[in-house]
Amino acid sequence: MKCDKFIEALGTRVKILEVTRQCEDQVTALVELNDLPEAVRFLYYDMGGYLTTMIPNDERSINKHYALYYAISMEGGKMFEGDEIAQDEKCFVTVKVLISPDSLTYPSVTPLVPACVWYEREAYDMFGLIAEGLPDKRRLVLSDDWPDNLFPLRKDAMDYRYRPDMKDHYMEPEYDFLKPEGSGIIDVPLGPLHITADEPGHFRLFCDGDTIIDADYRLFYQHRGMEKLAENRMNYDQMGYLAERVCGICGYAHAIACIEAAEKAINLEIPARAQAIRVICSEIERLHSHLLNIGLACEVTGNYNAFMHIFRIREYSMKLAELVTGGRKTYGNVVMGGLRRDITGVEIKESLRILQIIETQVDEVWDAVMDDKRQMSRWKGVGILDKQVARDFSPVGPNIRGSGIKRDTRYDHPYDFFKQIQFDVAVVEGGDVFAREMVRYMELKSSVSIIRQCFELMPQTAIIVDPTFHVKPENYALAYVEAPRGDNVHWIMQGSAQKVFRWRCRAATYNNWPSLRFQFRGNNLADAALIVCSLDPCYSCTERVTVVDIKSKKSKILTNADLKNFARTQKDSPLKDLR
Amino acid sequence: MMKLLDISKKYGEITHKYPFEPYKVSDNFRGKPAYIFDLCIGCAACGIACPSNAITVQFNDDKSKLVWEFDCGRCIFCGRCDEVCPTGAIKLSEEFELAVKFDKSALIQRGELDTQYCTTCNKPFSAKRLVKYSFECLSKANVSEKRLEEAKNYLCMCPTCKKTATVATFTSGKEMVIE
Ligand code: SF4
Ligand code: SF4
Repeated sequence: MKCDKFIEALGTRVKILEVTRQCEDQVTALVELNDLPEAVRFLYYDMGGYLTTMIPNDERSINKHYALYYAISMEGGKMFEGDEIAQDEKCFVTVKVLISPDSLTYPSVTPLVPACVWYEREAYDMFGLIAEGLPDKRRLVLSDDWPDNLFPLRKDAMDYRYRPDMKDHYMEPEYDFLKPEGSGIIDVPLGPLHITADEPGHFRLFCDGDTIIDADYRLFYQHRGMEKLAENRMNYDQMGYLAERVCGICGYAHAIACIEAAEKAINLEIPARAQAIRVICSEIERLHSHLLNIGLACEVTGNYNAFMHIFRIREYSMKLAELVTGGRKTYGNVVMGGLRRDITGVEIKESLRILQIIETQVDEVWDAVMDDKRQMSRWKGVGILDKQVARDFSPVGPNIRGSGIKRDTRYDHPYDFFKQIQFDVAVVEGGDVFAREMVRYMELKSSVSIIRQCFELMPQTAIIVDPTFHVKPENYALAYVEAPRGDNVHWIMQGSAQKVFRWRCRAATYNNWPSLRFQFRGNNLADAALIVCSLDPCYSCTERVTVVDIKSKKSKILTNADLKNFARTQKDSPLKDLR
Repeated sequence: MMKLLDISKKYGEITHKYPFEPYKVSDNFRGKPAYIFDLCIGCAACGIACPSNAITVQFNDDKSKLVWEFDCGRCIFCGRCDEVCPTGAIKLSEEFELAVKFDKSALIQRGELDTQYCTTCNKPFSAKRLVKYSFECLSKANVSEKRLEEAKNYLCMCPTCKKTATVATFTSGKEMVIE
């Protein structure tokens, strides 16, 4: 069976206490607490794994312990040609440990596998589990004035509606940003709120002149507590719709990942036609998302003309979504066991016509953008994600494929209809903004072809299975969908009465943030917005920026216009009167 | 740069004059659910199916009416209500201009249905229309006159009285064999 090989190898390194299989390609190995770092490191580096997600869980009501699940995607290191596991052996191996509620501590894996850093910080915020040896113990998710000793995801911590009192802003503890040593370093905070951005995020850029030498950031200003909400009061019918609202762009990928996790936990196979339609809708989502990002990558550098054209084409993809799902952004058709809306013959015909338009016009505009030397010079060599950094931090999506690593969930772990579809994984060497945009362009083309193949191969079956399935308490499984930004991974442990016991939703960008710091280093301040944009985290437009010169204690507030202008023209540095 | 200008020339003007001219949405667009009061029987199927609790079906304070209420601010346009409604009283429309100015109550739509009181204990338990609808359905099914008359009695009783009455008929031996 799949995975056995890895479990066997792991057994030669550490003592495995128990092995459980969730589905054909997912197994979990329970190991001793002290063996945890070595077990994860061995699978990650020696056996060729990437960290998919880590799930802390309060299982005191089940086995009197807290549990951690490090889910590792076994696919090969992919650092050079041939460094890849055979297609039929790729799988997910989860390393599980149990932590006693008396000690609440476990040895940190981060010193050995840097990719774990955010997950282990979050485990403290949400569950109060302490990673011994974790180099960065600051808060990640909760706000700075959240009460100490209140760990919201513990089952007995609080009602899901409880909101602790906010502290007045002058009482609010200061977040401890990492600061590089040295004289003449200027600290440039961006955010936390920028009017034009979808999400708030607070970036601190440390500059020497106009060159960024390091960066730190604080996110999660928008943490909505969806996981707690779903555990407390949602059934599976409602959860899919909630998951679709995790993200304003790749929400559909979240909806399928969430529902598929629940389906996988009980091994429910959905009809082929429903699988095909899920793939079609998620590829339509990729079309509009990539067009958005390529457009913004032009806009941030001042190329409005190209931006407008790309958005003109994007409108066709929105129309396409409206045609086959009835909504431009929320497709709302996923339910457990299949789908609630079919695609008609007329719709298919019209879709094919729209796809043709998108395909030709994307080529036209891309060709013109490629021709623009000025645009190319802004994209090339900027925000480089080094291949080794990528290997260490497990980023996903166009971010890692732009660094020459062939990671794509649709290819590594084909789900749904992808088993029957032919497509090339877009991989570009270079690791700069240009490489990432190139990946997106290539994926636009492949998405069009994937949708066409689905229309062609889609069988005439029902779109939903007979809804007589029963969830099994304590069963759990991972589900993953390659969203436009990388894989969205959901993990569901089922509870009784059609409810979830634990829902862990990991959005693609979560894996992309930790390595962003390295992408900033050595770049010009004018490219900061572009670099963030090329990750496609939801575009970063810098609204109001305070600049502080640490040495002279001089400060200056930059407006959105100042910084944007500098980003576009690269002239008249707004920092020059500070020096 | 020149290439982009050529493309602009090729495609010309592509913007719509919206809102000065209407914007046409696709067929089967999932817009605001439209409610037809005259068709609604107050069965509450939509309220149970609605994932975001946008629809509630409850008695008013003095229980004289069964109130169907829809809060457009909570609706996520999923179409579950449309799917489950037995009479087609709620259907997703093509309407997407939903903003209201200052007055949030404009987002709420209500329908008040007459209450059906239990013929035995006088407790309010359902809507008159639901009872009528159930009876019509039964009449269309191939049921004998006698059974139908009996069913009519039962339909007008609240669940508790229905139970008691059934037990009573059973124990008194009056229960007929179903033909
Ligand atoms: S469309 Fe969905 S959310 Fe809106 S009222 Fe109907 S069931 Fe509720
Ligand atoms: S008749 Fe339709 S709209 Fe009225 S309560 Fe029943 S399901 Fe809802």
